[in-house]
Amino acid sequence: MHVLTILFQSLIIGGLVGFATGMGAARMFTAPKTQALGAFRTLGEMNAAEGDAASHFSFGLGFFFNAWASTVGAGAFTQDITHRVIPNWAAAALLLKDKDPQKSFQNPKRMAWAGMVIGMVVVAFLNVTSSSIPASLQVTAVKVLVPAANNLINLVMPVLFWLAAIDAGRRSGLFGTVFGGVSALIIGNAVPGVVLGILIGKGVDELGWTKTTKIILTAAILLFVLSGFFRGFDMTMIKAFHLAVPQWLTNFHGLLNVK
Amino acid sequence: MSDQKQTEATIPNDFWHADWGFVIIVAMMASGVFAGTSMYYNYGVGAFNEVAFVAMLKAGIEGGSYGAAAAFGASFLFARILEGSLVGILDLGGSILTGVGLGIPAILLSVGAKSLVSNFWLAILTGAILGVLIGLVIFLVRKFTINQSGATFGSDVMMGAGNQTGRFLGPLIVLSACTASIPIGIGSTVGAAIFYAWKKPISGGAIIGAMILGFFFPIKLS
Repeated sequence: MHVLTILFQSLIIGGLVGFATGMGAARMFTAPKTQALGAFRTLGEMNAAEGDAASHFSFGLGFFFNAWASTVGAGAFTQDITHRVIPNWAAAALLLKDKDPQKSFQNPKRMAWAGMVIGMVVVAFLNVTSSSIPASLQVTAVKVLVPAANNLINLVMPVLFWLAAIDAGRRSGLFGTVFGGVSALIIGNAVPGVVLGILIGKGVDELGWTKTTKIILTAAILLFVLSGFFRGFDMTMIKAFHLAVPQWLTNFHGLLNVK
Repeated sequence: MSDQKQTEATIPNDFWHADWGFVIIVAMMASGVFAGTSMYYNYGVGAFNEVAFVAMLKAGIEGGSYGAAAAFGASFLFARILEGSLVGILDLGGSILTGVGLGIPAILLSVGAKSLVSNFWLAILTGAILGVLIGLVIFLVRKFTINQSGATFGSDVMMGAGNQTGRFLGPLIVLSACTASIPIGIGSTVGAAIFYAWKKPISGGAIIGAMILGFFFPIKLS
């Protein structure tokens, strides 16, 4: 039952994603005249295969095995399924029939249908094989992956994003540092703050203090104020400074506390 | 787009080439990817994302904070929509996979709208609506602000940092495998080494190696 549900749902999402991937990728060859859905690296890699079916196929295959490993281990396809496997395999399938680029991988209609079939097969295969693995394997995956992921989120990501913000310029470094610290205090993770810092800092670098950047800054500050309030950060902070929490603030919290 | 018709008479204005066709495929893509996240929520498989990004969502599902996933995904979405309408290629990794597949589910879960994510059919619908909205925004930006400034809001900086994060996962998995048990640690190390020799990302090898040894020398989930 369980496996059948997974198979059924996989076919649906694989078909949807595959169709869109194929058509979006074919439209890249005429961008920006036709708005495409894909990535510059996908475009570059598809060009590198030079219309050779075998190159397209083997390029996708390498990433397919990697995606399989990560689906079995963590349930994550990696972004390579949509960036690399589906577009290149769809191109390879079409090139077997016709060598003309216009009638194969640059044709949105044919790429859409080819992508749909390949998407359904690939997604169903990945999900069914990885959901049928023995329980002892899943225990291993959880025991190994969850601590690794926690380290990644709590330590590595904040540091990397923070350093990237600092390297990106004085403005994003400053906003990133301030928001990063505030975010770590209030939300418990610095990444959201640093990301907002980069967004605001680079936005101002590129556009200046326009209406858009001011709105983003206000929204960011509002986000922290509101989430701080609803997490009771204000009261915890006052207590941490060995001060008495004013009665009106407690009442205000009692009034608005949803939980 | 009137200017496009003039310059590109050879490209037909049908579903396969017109801007409204783009809105449809973004809706399909968003629908599938969002429902993939729904499958991940229910069955632990099916997320169209990198291991490192999915790990952020997993941390939220297992009782932690959704903050990292939400901010990471949503800011990517914002930046990529702006960029996509300007350059003509919407980066599906940043906008749909990370934004719709990670950021928006994290936001919905954190505000308690669980059923939108956990129910497969609702997820299909939610994703499709989100996709139509994204597609329309790009459609409108293309229509009205053709010569907009090339502001990226630092999405290149974030993308760079995001990719750097992915690199850290491999060594972290080996380290964590080594603390799980000696056989699993050995398996993970060997797997990582083999994948490195094959010029593949070592995180995949580290997981597979750990799991093979974990199959023969199982550990208990404490």
